[in-house]
Amino acid sequence: MTRFIKLFNLSRLYSRRFIFVIAGLVIIAALPLIIGSEYVISEVLAPMLIFAIYASSWNLLAFSGQGSLGHAAFLGIGGFTSALLAIKLGVPPLLGLFLGGLFSAAIGFLIGLTCVRLKAWFLGMVTFGFSVISLTLVSQFDSVIGGIMGFRTPLIVPRGVLFYYFTFAVAAASIFIIYLIMKSKLGLAFKAIRENELEAKMTGINTARYRLVAFILSTFFAGLAGGLYAQYIRYIDVSIFSPHFSFLPLMMAVIGGLGTLSGPLIGSAIIVSIDAYLPRIDHLLQGLLGSLFPAVSNVGPPIRMMLLGIILLVVVIFAPKGIYSVIDKAYAHLLNKRAAGKQ
Amino acid sequence: MQKKILVVITAIVVIVAITSAGVWQITQQPASSPSPTPTQTATPLASTTPSPDARPVRIGLVAGYQLAEGQDMDRAAKLAVEEINAAGGVYVAEWNTKVPIELIIADTGKDTAGETVGPITRAVVEDKVDLLIGGYTSAGTLAGQVVAIENRVPFIITGASSNLVTRRGPQGNFGGLAEDDARRINDAEGMSYMFHYCTTTSDYSTTVVNFFAETMKPLIDSTYHFAASRPLRLALIYRNDAFGKGVVADTKNLIITNNLPIEIVAERSYQTTATTFQTDLTVIKDAKPDAVYVVDFIANTAEIIKEGRKDVGLNTVYIAVECCEDPQFYTLLGEYGDGVLLESKFASYAGPPFYLPAIETYVANYKAKYNTLPGMMGADTYDAFYIAKEAIERAGTLDKAAIRDAIEQINMPQMLIMTKTGTIQFSTGVNYHEISPVTFVEQLTYNATLQEARPKIVYPSAVPVVGSIKQAEFVLPPGYQPGSP
Amino acid sequence: MITPSGLAETLLWGVANGCIYILLATGLSIIFGVMKLVNFAHGQLLMIGAYLAFTTSVILGVNSYLAILVAMVGVAIIGVAVERLTFRKVLGTEKLNEIFVSLGLIYIFENAAVLLWGNKSAQIPSSINGILSLAGISISYDRLAAIGIVVVILLSIVFLMKRTKIGLAMQATSQKSDAAKLMGINIEKVYVFTFALGAALAGAAGALYGIIFPFSPTLGALPTIKAFAIIILGGLGSIPGAVIGGLLYGIAETTAGYLLGGIWPDAIAFVLLIAVLIIKPTGLFGGKGE
Repeated sequence: MTRFIKLFNLSRLYSRRFIFVIAGLVIIAALPLIIGSEYVISEVLAPMLIFAIYASSWNLLAFSGQGSLGHAAFLGIGGFTSALLAIKLGVPPLLGLFLGGLFSAAIGFLIGLTCVRLKAWFLGMVTFGFSVISLTLVSQFDSVIGGIMGFRTPLIVPRGVLFYYFTFAVAAASIFIIYLIMKSKLGLAFKAIRENELEAKMTGINTARYRLVAFILSTFFAGLAGGLYAQYIRYIDVSIFSPHFSFLPLMMAVIGGLGTLSGPLIGSAIIVSIDAYLPRIDHLLQGLLGSLFPAVSNVGPPIRMMLLGIILLVVVIFAPKGIYSVIDKAYAHLLNKRAAGKQ
Repeated sequence: MQKKILVVITAIVVIVAITSAGVWQITQQPASSPSPTPTQTATPLASTTPSPDARPVRIGLVAGYQLAEGQDMDRAAKLAVEEINAAGGVYVAEWNTKVPIELIIADTGKDTAGETVGPITRAVVEDKVDLLIGGYTSAGTLAGQVVAIENRVPFIITGASSNLVTRRGPQGNFGGLAEDDARRINDAEGMSYMFHYCTTTSDYSTTVVNFFAETMKPLIDSTYHFAASRPLRLALIYRNDAFGKGVVADTKNLIITNNLPIEIVAERSYQTTATTFQTDLTVIKDAKPDAVYVVDFIANTAEIIKEGRKDVGLNTVYIAVECCEDPQFYTLLGEYGDGVLLESKFASYAGPPFYLPAIETYVANYKAKYNTLPGMMGADTYDAFYIAKEAIERAGTLDKAAIRDAIEQINMPQMLIMTKTGTIQFSTGVNYHEISPVTFVEQLTYNATLQEARPKIVYPSAVPVVGSIKQAEFVLPPGYQPGSP
Repeated sequence: MITPSGLAETLLWGVANGCIYILLATGLSIIFGVMKLVNFAHGQLLMIGAYLAFTTSVILGVNSYLAILVAMVGVAIIGVAVERLTFRKVLGTEKLNEIFVSLGLIYIFENAAVLLWGNKSAQIPSSINGILSLAGISISYDRLAAIGIVVVILLSIVFLMKRTKIGLAMQATSQKSDAAKLMGINIEKVYVFTFALGAALAGAAGALYGIIFPFSPTLGALPTIKAFAIIILGGLGSIPGAVIGGLLYGIAETTAGYLLGGIWPDAIAFVLLIAVLIIKPTGLFGGKGE
């Protein structure tokens, strides 16, 4: 209960927080005007926003004390549904995007029915298994879906700055909704379940139902992110079901700060930046370390991937609340200092 | 509560305002598609002094560094660039000087569809490459090439086996894709920047089915006294992806259209994550085939052949696809390689002496630099750099449209990959911007001192221009059991 | 076309493949039983074990079956380091943290192996060749050897658990760690030993895997997930359960491949697992859930 009280105390800071949030939004919205590079806008900033939605969807699940090792299944279902609806049935792509999310949520509901009774590892297993099954089904029905060779997705808006603003609008809306969910009674129930399921049950919370709701909500946003991802790549094939896509949102949420609103955003920004910018130093690494590892022709990529693992370990062990908490603490420290200075 | 709502509304208003401001800003700007400037802007300089504008040629290598094949491409590319630069570089007439090649790497990870777009965009938009070379998987290339198509950057594709990479535009009659197929690209001009310097799934299959019809069927007919009317019983085992399905579809098509005496008696596919294949091989064994066509990459192909011979007792003729032409394949197969067939276009193991002098030098240089024999994937990439050099020198400028025209009209002697004309030329028409490679069949023989098998070319006996390439006669492997009569 | 002999061979291969899964699952199960910890990077320990055995037998020329011992010792040492440096720091915190740590380890191990051994496939040359044929069913000697080795290792584990001091301490800890502590058992020591033992089993599984199949650094999370599926099937923390689960899983996989086609084995195994979990969320033979 003490945590709840703390939370309510925080409510006084809402207005200040909102100033920060609005400032953040203004900055994100203005970025393309500041940064002229087409590459940065469409290949760095846009995927950051898409993965922010995806990581937030995973985060929402974790917020209710659940985890998934197969979220790529929902990313893929959303992506394939939205693209196929537009191609085969002529559904407007924008509508298809949301239908993709809804279909993903519907599948999420069915999977969730089996998952709500399961705990951490079991849930991880079943969800991972489900991503394998999705991949098999998409391969099996390739003559209808065409996912093995893949196909181009009909676009909602052209690539570039316009797509960035479109993604921005969807991401802002999604994350705002996730914020509202997390702060609502529903969110409090999720939190209660996460902290102590038994206690939550005793206070009369139907834990199974709430966990199912969390699962559905999370898979909806994962499906939405999948549709956007297919828009961003402008192509979709079965590789979207690969485990790497299941692990990415988890890493982003954990590195950024699990259970916080801005954690997944920070995590997404960090991981997308690593992918986008670190290849730049590959030739330096190869020059430095290449002779030590003759088995590979370029040491950059494995070192980069290893770095992801190391960051994850360091965060989990030394800053379990993620980078967000580190920033938060540093900020609080700064405030205290200033307050002390004034006195 | 009211205050909260107020804040929320303010937030939304601000977001909408900024978003629309951004959109307005963009719509104000003219659509900044790179307008195709008229070519031949190069003004011949009267003086012999190099132009101050001279800069290195930037060539982007699209390769998946998380794959062994991508690393082979990387090594071959670096070798080619080193050689060209050591010889002074590329002569650009417009600048009246030779300039070196600067290799820009577009690392596409595992080369899946999701991984190619970002790196190719970076190479094209940020690094402003003059030309792209590479691409390994079909799906990855189909997704990533769109960036090059839109930005009008010449792209010599050296890996993807699907012929759609150049045929999905109007010039290639959309590669047989239906009207509503989402893979079609209606941009004729953009598609004209794509070139396919690689064998396609139909190239593999043509050689394989012709080998069975022309060489193997007569041999088993005479050895086992089969009636001439008995078709050769072929089984297919393939990975369930674009590559496997492409090869299988082409194989079936060729048998039907050419009315070849081959019957497909079994067909099994498996998930790309599979590690063991006994059950599929058992089904194939029960179908009693004369030969098995294995369509997969190195590790799985080797495992299929090993399990087939060792565990399942399927003692038949196995034929593997050219992407297995790699040091790993011979190592993994070991003694089980004896008698195995390999369809190929670049036989770095069938020599020395080699059927082409160029291969002799390439293999020696590669081995000296990297202490390993080259694989098949790098050979196309290596050639492509010389094609790029030739094209730029013909164009005399780094204008992309001029380079595109030069590649289109290129006519240079073949290098590591044999072609039917002995020259490197890109086709027009339905087989849009493809080369006509010569592929052949090798048979492996176990070498006890190396503890690995080594190949010799067994089919065809002669090819255009080079002449005889056959190094040995095809024989049925020891312990061979023919299919049911 | 389904033939009786084909089906019989399919079952036999299911058992043979199941053996490697059993070894992997037993390691995972022992660690889980004692420490209540799931190491999702267990499959990466298998991969490292395969490479250690590969290096020992190919570069140093040691017999491939002796190389199994080297792999076991090598991976056990890595296991100790992993336990001390990572898992110990998150033990007792939120359960999800273990999954996160494992995931980090997966990325580290995979890419360390890429750096050291390259991105290509390798296989350990078996020192036993030949095929045993009986009544139309054939199986190679190296697969039979693998079955034999797994049996020997499992019997040793049972002996260790039932007859040695450390084994009894492990059992005590697995039942009630607080009580075990009171009884003067050094829990940390037990944990280190347990993790090393589990890792050693993964190392042995890796060496056997490498003799039978080609392997590469990017084995991925699938082997661990399969092993985990097995211990769920067989009941968490139970060695006999892991054996039965492993055999069932191996047979389900090959039978699905034989009857439905090669694209189904992975999926069907998970369908089986999900079905079991729906019917009995604690596993087929599991008494108590965690």
